[in-house]
Amino acid sequence: MPIDGGIAFRCAGLRKTYRSGETEVHALRSVDLSVRQGESLVLLGPSGSGKSTMLNIIGGLDRPTEGTLHYQDIELTGLSDHDLTRFRRRHIGFIFQFYNLIPSLTAEENVNLVTDIAEAPMPAIEALDLVGLADRRHHYPAQLSGGEQQRVAVARAIAKQPAVLLCDEPTGALDSATGVRVLQTLDRANRELGTTLLIITHNAGIAAMADRVLHFLDGQISQEVVNQTRIRPDELTW
Amino acid sequence: MVAALDRKLLRNLWHMRGQVLAIALVLAAAAATFVLSTGVHSSLTATRAAYYDRNGFADVFAGMTRAPRSVVARVAAIPGAQRAQGSIIQYATLDMPGRKDPVRALLNSIREDGRDSINRVTLREGRLPEEGKPGEVIVDEAFASANDMALGDRVEALIYGVQQELTVVGIGLAPNYIYALAPGELIPDNRRFGVFWMGQKALEAATDRTDAINTLSVVLQRGASEPDVIRQIDTILAPYGGTGAYGRKDHLSHAFLDNELMQLEAMTKVIPPVFLLVAVFLVYIVLGRMIRIERTQIGLLKAFGYSDVAVGWHYLKFALVVAAIGCLLGLAAGVWMGRAMTGLYAEYYRFPFLAYRISSEAFLGAVALSLGTAALGAIGGMYRAVRLNPAVAMAPPPPPIYRAGFVSKIGHAGGFSAVGNMIVRHIARWPGRSALTVLGVALSAGLLFSTMQFMDSSRTMIDSFFLRGQAQDLTVTFVEPRNEDVIYALRQIPGVQRVEPTRGLAVRLVNGVRSKRTAVESTMAGSQLVSHIDASGKKLELPPGGLMLSRQLADELDLKAGDVVRVELLGGRQTRTGLRVASIVDEFIGSRAYANERTLELLARDASPVGSALLKVDPADRQAIIARLKDMPLLLGISERDASVRLFESMIEDNLFTMLFFYITFASVIAVGVVYNSARILFAERAHELATLRVLGYYHSEVAIVLAGELALLIVAAILPGCLIGYSLAQLMTEMFSSDLFRLPFAPSRASYGWSIVIVLAAAIGTVLLVVRRVTRLDMVAVLKARD
Ligand SMILES: Nc1ncnc2c1ncn2[C@@H]1O[C@H](COP(=O)(O)OP(=O)(O)O)[C@@H](O)[C@H]1O
Ligand SMILES: [Mg+2]
Repeated sequence: MPIDGGIAFRCAGLRKTYRSGETEVHALRSVDLSVRQGESLVLLGPSGSGKSTMLNIIGGLDRPTEGTLHYQDIELTGLSDHDLTRFRRRHIGFIFQFYNLIPSLTAEENVNLVTDIAEAPMPAIEALDLVGLADRRHHYPAQLSGGEQQRVAVARAIAKQPAVLLCDEPTGALDSATGVRVLQTLDRANRELGTTLLIITHNAGIAAMADRVLHFLDGQISQEVVNQTRIRPDELTW
Repeated sequence: MVAALDRKLLRNLWHMRGQVLAIALVLAAAAATFVLSTGVHSSLTATRAAYYDRNGFADVFAGMTRAPRSVVARVAAIPGAQRAQGSIIQYATLDMPGRKDPVRALLNSIREDGRDSINRVTLREGRLPEEGKPGEVIVDEAFASANDMALGDRVEALIYGVQQELTVVGIGLAPNYIYALAPGELIPDNRRFGVFWMGQKALEAATDRTDAINTLSVVLQRGASEPDVIRQIDTILAPYGGTGAYGRKDHLSHAFLDNELMQLEAMTKVIPPVFLLVAVFLVYIVLGRMIRIERTQIGLLKAFGYSDVAVGWHYLKFALVVAAIGCLLGLAAGVWMGRAMTGLYAEYYRFPFLAYRISSEAFLGAVALSLGTAALGAIGGMYRAVRLNPAVAMAPPPPPIYRAGFVSKIGHAGGFSAVGNMIVRHIARWPGRSALTVLGVALSAGLLFSTMQFMDSSRTMIDSFFLRGQAQDLTVTFVEPRNEDVIYALRQIPGVQRVEPTRGLAVRLVNGVRSKRTAVESTMAGSQLVSHIDASGKKLELPPGGLMLSRQLADELDLKAGDVVRVELLGGRQTRTGLRVASIVDEFIGSRAYANERTLELLARDASPVGSALLKVDPADRQAIIARLKDMPLLLGISERDASVRLFESMIEDNLFTMLFFYITFASVIAVGVVYNSARILFAERAHELATLRVLGYYHSEVAIVLAGELALLIVAAILPGCLIGYSLAQLMTEMFSSDLFRLPFAPSRASYGWSIVIVLAAAIGTVLLVVRRVTRLDMVAVLKARD
C-alpha cells in the first residue's frame, strides 16, 4: 500500500458546460490538478462553484465537456460506460451528504452490496466495526440515526478497501460531534490504509485535517493551500 | 383556479402517457368485447325478429306421412291457431355437372300465385315458378352462390325415384332455413346441400301427392297456449302418420340460432368482467401511487383553499379521462371486430340482410362500464387524497419503512445476496400491489387458456363423435323407411365391405312436466361401425332393455339411470310405453336416445323399418360406389363421413382462429398493461436505489436485475394461479356455452396450458425488457442530487 506513491489523478484543461436550451452554465472552466496517491484533500468553496461537478467527474460518475483526466495510467475521458463503471467498482468509494442507503437492506447488507462485487473486500462486519456499528448490523436504515446512517455509508465505502474515497459534504447533515466521528474514520482510512481522500465541505474548519486545501470559485480553483501540519479530526473546532 | 388544476391534469396524463395508454388498452379490450358480443347479439336478434315477422315464420310445425290438404283448414280452426299452411317437402338427389360427390336438395312446395302466408320466400332474383311449367325452381341463395348457379341454369334431379330436369327461375331464401342442414349433418354445407322451392302443383305431381301434404306450419294467435295447440294438432294428424307437432324451440334452424345467441350472451357475461377487474386493479395501483407522490402538492392545494371535493374530483377526473380514452378505442375496435364476426355469421346463417349495428344500449353500456370501472379503481386513492391533512401532507413523505421481522428473515434464511434481498423485501413490502400484479398476469394467462381450451374441446368433440363414434365411410338414408331387403341390395355392390342398418322412431319422452321430442335410435346388435363413447372415452354397449340417454337429454328431462320415462310414439301406432332409463352416455352432440332393436319393436309393436344404412367401403371403389348409389331409386341421401369431418374442422378453424387471434391480442393487452404499470411504478420507486447501485460500481445488467428480478418473480408466481384461473374459467365457459345442441367437453390439453403460459410470458417479458432499458438512461448525478 503506497503511502506516498505516484500520481493518482491528473487532469488538464477540464471543462464542464451544462446546456439547457439557450443558456449555458459553466460548472467547470479549465481546471488543472494532480492528486498524489495517499494524499488527503479538502475542497472548499461557495455553493455552485463546481466542487460536486469536479468530484463526480473524478469518480467517473460524469464526463467532462473538454480536457483530459487520468487515473494512474488510465485515461478516464476515453472510457466506455462499461469501463467507467468497472473503474468505480475497483477503485472508488463514494460518500454523499444524504447517505443513499438502501432502505430495504440492513446495515450489514448495505455493506454487502459492495463486498459482493469487490475484488478484495474486508468482511462487512469488520467495516462496520471500524465505524463502531458492529452491534447495529441487523438494523435497517429507518432504525438508525442520521449519524449512524452516514457511518454505515462510510463503512460501505471503505469495505472494498478502495484506493480513493470521494466524499461530497459527508458531514453536511450531521451535528458536529457526529460529524467528527465520521471524519475520524475517513482520516484513519487515509492514514492507515493509504487511501487517497477528497472531501468537499462548506466548513472551513475541516480544512485543517487535510494535506492540501483547494478553494473553488466560479468553476475554477482560485487558491491552493498546503497544510504544513495536519490536525486530527477530534481536535478540529467549528 | 380550475384551469390550473386542469393543466396539471393534462401534464400528469402526458407525463404518464405510457401507463395511461396501458390502462386505456385494458379498458378498451373490455369495451370492445362488450360491444362486440352485445352488438352481435342484438344485431342477430333484431335481424331475426324482423325477418321472422316480415316473412311470417311459423310458431308450430308438424310432419306426417301424408294427409289430405283439407286438414289445413281443420288445423287452422283450432282455438289459438291464427293461420295454417300445408306444404310438401321432399329430398332429392342432384346430378350436378362435373361433380362426383353426392349433392342433395330439399324441395319445398311454394304457391305459384305467391300467396303463401307462412315461411314466405324472399326472392333475390328472378321470379316464382309458374303453374304448368313443372321443372321451375327457386334455389336458395347460399347454395346458388356456392355452386355458381344463375337464373336459367338447369340441373338433373332424382325426385321420388324419377329423374327430372330442373330450371332455376329464382334465387331466394326463407326464414325457416336460416340454418340449413342436410339430415345427419351438423354444419351447413352449402356446396352439397341446398333448399329448393318448386311450384305446389309440380311437386304434388312429382311426389304423387295430388291435393295432399306432408308438412304443416301454424302461426299462433297472440297469447295462445303452444302445448294445447300442439296436442290438438297431434290428435288431428294421428290418422295421417303425424310425427308430432313441435314449437320453435325444436325447430332446427331456430334452435341453432338460439344456441348461437345464448353463447354470445355467455361471452358477454364472462369475458368483459375479466378485463374490467384488471382495469380496476390498474387504476387503483397507478392512482394510489400518484397520490403518494403528490401528497405535498395535495397539501399545498388544500392550504391554498381548494376544497376536499375539488381535490378528489381532480383525481377522479384523471381516472375518467383514462377510461374515456379506453372506451373510445374499445368502441372503435368493437365495431371493427363486429364487422369481422358478422361476416362469419353470414357464412353459416342465411339472412336476407345482416348488418352489424351497435345498439344505443350496448354503446351506453360500454361507456358506463368503462367509466364505472375507472371510478371504482379511483375510490381508494381519492379517499386518501381527500382525507390527507394539509399540515401532515406538506411534511416530507415518510420513507418506506423496513423493519427487522419476518421479511428480513426470508433474506437470512434464503442466504440471498444483497441484491436478492432487495428484490424479495420489496415484494414483501408492497404485498397488495405484488399480489395484484400476480393476479393480473394470472388472469391474462387464464383468459387465454380458457379460449384455447375451446379448440381442445372442439377437437375432442370431433374425435369422439366422428373418429371414434363412427367407423362408416358412407351413410345412406332412404326416402321412406325400408325393410331388410335394401340391406342385402347394398351388400351386393362391389367394394362394399360392410353394411349395417340403423333404425329410428320419432318419439316424445315425457317425465312429469318435462318433455322432449327426439328419436330413439338403434344400431344392430354387435355393430362394428357405431360405438357410443362416453366422456371418459369408454365404449358403452346398448342396454339389453330400456333406454340409453345422452347426458344432455337426461339433464333436460331430469332423469337418472333407473328412472322410468314415458315414451310416446309419434306416428305409427301412437303407443305410450313406460321405459326404464338403463344408462346415460356422456355424448357431446345432440339430445339423443338409444335402444336395441327389441326395445324398438316393443315401442312400435311392429318390426321397425330401416331408416338408413352405414357402409364401410373399399377406398379404391369409393367413387364407383357413390355413382351406383346416386342412381338408386328411393335413396334420400348419401353423406360422407370424411366430408363432414372436414367441414367441421374448417368451421372450427374459421371461427376459432378468428376468436383466438382476438383473444391472444386481448390476453397480451392485459399482461402488457399489468406488467408495464408495475414495471414503471417499480422503476420510479427504485430509481434512487438503482442509481446508488450504479454509483457503487454495479453494471447496467446487474442493476437491471433488481428491476427485472422482481418482475420475473411476480410473473413466474402468476403461472400456477394462471393455470387455476384458466381451468375454472374454461370450465365455467364450457358449461355456459353448452346447449341442447352441443355439450362442450371440458378437455384441456397440455399444449393449451403451455401455449397460454408461453404467450403471456412472452408479452410480459417483452414489456419488462422495454422498461428495463430505462436503466441505461439513468442519470446517476441527477438522481443523487435530489433527496428522494
Ligand atoms: N445537471 C446540471 N444541469 C445544469 N446545471 C448544473 C447541473 N449540475 C450542476 N449544474 C450547475 O453547475 C454549477 C456547479 O454545480 P456544483 O458542481 O453542484 O456546485 P457545488 O457542488 O460547488 O455547489 C452550478 O451553477 C450548478 O447550478
Ligand atoms: Mg455540491
